[in-house]
Amino acid sequence: MNRWRRSVGEIQARRRAAAECTRAQTAFSRVTACYQQLATCVGSSSDCGRLREELEDTRVLAHNLCMGLQKRLTALLTEGDLVQEERERVERLWVLFLSGLEIFQQDLHKVALLHEFFPLKQPRDRRALVNTGGTCDSSGSAQVAARVAAVQTPWPKEEAGPCPDLGAHIAQLEGMAQEMLRKVNVPIWSVEATQEAWVEGCDNEQDDEEVAEEEISVETGTAEGRKLAGCCHYPGCRILCLLR
Amino acid sequence: MTIRNVRDHGQQYRPRMACLKKVEALVLEMQDPKTGVKSQTQRLVITTIPHAITGEDIVAWIASRFKVDAQEAQILATMMVAYGYIYPLQDHKRLVIKPDTSLYRFQTPYFWPAQQWPAEDTDYAIYLAKRNIRKKGVLELHEQEHYNNLHKWMNHKWDFIVMQAKEQYRAGKERKKPDRVVFDCQERAYWVVHRPPPGTVSAMDYGLDRLIDPNVEAVKEKKTVDYYRRIIIFTQQSIMRSRVKSSVSIGAIVKYMTTYKNHDPFLVPCLPSNPWLTDDTTYWELNLPNVEIPTKMRVERWTFSFRELLNDPRGRADFRLFLKKEFSGENLAFWETCEDLKWGAAATMKEKAQQIYKTFLAPGAPRWINIDGKTMEITVKGLVHPHRYVLDAAQTHIYILMKKVGSLCHAHLPHTVLPSVVLMAVFRSQDSFGRYMKSPVFKETQRKAISPEAHNFSKAQLEQNAKKRKPNLSPIILRQREEEEKARLAATGPVDITQLCKFTAPVPHLSVYTGICEAPPCHSQELLPPSPVPPTLPNSAACPSPISVAIDSTPASERKFEGQAGAAPPSGPAQTVGEAEETRAGAPKSRVTLSLSRLLKRGCTGSSVFANLSPKCPAALGGRVQPLSRDPAPQAQPKRIANFFQIKVDIPPECRIYPIESEDEDEDCPAALRGTVKEIICPWESITKHDQAG
Repeated sequence: MNRWRRSVGEIQARRRAAAECTRAQTAFSRVTACYQQLATCVGSSSDCGRLREELEDTRVLAHNLCMGLQKRLTALLTEGDLVQEERERVERLWVLFLSGLEIFQQDLHKVALLHEFFPLKQPRDRRALVNTGGTCDSSGSAQVAARVAAVQTPWPKEEAGPCPDLGAHIAQLEGMAQEMLRKVNVPIWSVEATQEAWVEGCDNEQDDEEVAEEEISVETGTAEGRKLAGCCHYPGCRILCLLR
Repeated sequence: MTIRNVRDHGQQYRPRMACLKKVEALVLEMQDPKTGVKSQTQRLVITTIPHAITGEDIVAWIASRFKVDAQEAQILATMMVAYGYIYPLQDHKRLVIKPDTSLYRFQTPYFWPAQQWPAEDTDYAIYLAKRNIRKKGVLELHEQEHYNNLHKWMNHKWDFIVMQAKEQYRAGKERKKPDRVVFDCQERAYWVVHRPPPGTVSAMDYGLDRLIDPNVEAVKEKKTVDYYRRIIIFTQQSIMRSRVKSSVSIGAIVKYMTTYKNHDPFLVPCLPSNPWLTDDTTYWELNLPNVEIPTKMRVERWTFSFRELLNDPRGRADFRLFLKKEFSGENLAFWETCEDLKWGAAATMKEKAQQIYKTFLAPGAPRWINIDGKTMEITVKGLVHPHRYVLDAAQTHIYILMKKVGSLCHAHLPHTVLPSVVLMAVFRSQDSFGRYMKSPVFKETQRKAISPEAHNFSKAQLEQNAKKRKPNLSPIILRQREEEEKARLAATGPVDITQLCKFTAPVPHLSVYTGICEAPPCHSQELLPPSPVPPTLPNSAACPSPISVAIDSTPASERKFEGQAGAAPPSGPAQTVGEAEETRAGAPKSRVTLSLSRLLKRGCTGSSVFANLSPKCPAALGGRVQPLSRDPAPQAQPKRIANFFQIKVDIPPECRIYPIESEDEDEDCPAALRGTVKEIICPWESITKHDQAG
């Protein structure tokens, strides 16, 4: 009776751990996506000190998640003996986590390079920023950062230890990936997707706003029309644009 | 996790595109608010976005910056667009600069092309999934294909891809409207550059990957004495290289170009159409290595030089057919086996070398080839320790023989041998390039060669072709086909000259071939050392009988040959005899006998003459091949006479005819000879024995 109760306890513990990891993986996905959104602004005209700070915060959070996930996933796969179904689920998580690590590491690389290329220490450096159409008012990125901040880690923040700086972080991720591959022997290709192809296009959320590109193509038509209707009938007339 | 394939030779690094750094610098210059390109605002339905620039402004700015004309500036600007530093806002799929009021915008540095990181498939998959979410399944055709492909190949992380796509989509929605629009345009432009739609040319194509990482600084070598010594030697060797007058080398280039100019697909469009341009593989199918009917251009190419003929598998096959008809295919076969040795695997080299020796080089070998004594000696010596290039000298000799007309041996003959004998000598001149060109085989091939018509596809057809692109046959299948072809060739069999006689009438064992010409006594040092004295005596004694047999048989065989002229298998010998007849007015029969008798009178020291054994023991010399010994015997040995003829005679097995080196071989031979087929033993195998004995 005792044995049975203990084993039930173990199973439940494992299930909890697996659920935790799933949540953490989703959070990690979110954090890396937001990181990428912020990273696309680096070096452009919407780059500013605030953006870089937000990047740093996101990175710290990601670091936290990474360390925790790595520890827990490795533990689950090496020690506990899992049921077949459970094992598949955890292996899938494993592969997803490794893929996420890879993408995150790539983003870090790019950001490191861009930091070098576009340092923002001096005000005159702002001249070098590329005019991409973005503005430096920080409300846009603030919302992204807010999204990041809303992410909850299932375990305490201090668990992961201090976050290394950018270069060291990249190296650390590399080392982490190697270690994980070494410790646990999961054939990566054996994981199957739970999602069918093309499914995500069907059941997505309500998108109440127009798609950007249709807009643009529509815009060209209307702009031309407007130009013609405006100051004169000359197609190359740009006075109207200048006036606006 | 991405499954990374390790490519062979460790070539994993993308080559450095030096232009990227320069374009980046240029882009930064363009940003300068005072001296840069003038920017405007782009008005959209709901919002306005700054920093749009017109094509003509860009072109004008570049023209003034670099002081070039407008066309050059336009090309430069197009290059910037093609690399993805500037993207068009209208007509986003065509990456060109239109020098009018069409709008462009700068790409954010995150999406700039970087040589260290190629655009990964994972990212592309995420992008496609995002697009799918946004456009609810309405994607371009090529995007759909890519999506399906990636779904198959990245199935193991498809969940991650979808999850990430959703997250990125939601994160994108958090931003303000203009930023969102800008970001979407940027991302779309990025993927147009890195995953171009079919039919467009991508500027990011870069050819082969590199072995070393071009971004890593090479370790500087310390300039020690050794370093400078190396530099000195290198420059000295450069100075010592032979020089050619520029008029000569330019003349050669001009000649090459005039010959080949119609065969260059860049200068003259290839028929029916260039597969790289039109995606139609008819051209490749018509020019397969072993196609039945070659094209006219291909056949024309064969006439340019012998090398062209041999290099083309179809040409070589034609040549082989021609030689087969002439029954003189050994030269080509030897050449091909030499190529096989040169290019083949190292493990089998020794066996191959032995096989080659047994088949082609040993005196009396079944497919004996005609090379001069010096070359033969060098080759056989080299075969003791075979390496890849050991047959190079022989191969070159044979190549030249095949290329030029005939292998008239009188050039090699020393003056002491009777001219009449010489002229009686039958030379094998059929296997030559010139004769092939005039032969009916080639003319037939020329006549049958096809000349396909040009295709002239319309634009719609071109698109159709692009969609129907499929990968080539797997190299495994091609290799299998090659092997089958080779096996088939081998099965139809090399023509074994010793066996030729078997198939003809019972009598004609006499075939007279040109043999290695070796000078009389004065050159004996070069020759294979003659046998020690004692064994020759029995040989000499044995001489008359076989020869008489031969002489007796000769008239009959001659008659036989004449009767068969031009018909049957030994048309080779028949023709050669026939030619001998032609060259010599008068009765060849008696001549042959005369020559034989003369030869015999010169002394039975010509024991080596009979080294070729009778065809009764086919595929073998009927005995041991003369083993090589490294040091020529110092004392006066019975001289080996000009091994000019190798006469095959009908010799009863009991007769020991060949020179035998050592006593134990002497003893072995009679027993061994009795009617059994003897293996040709390669010289190096019996070296030890010889050493023991001698």
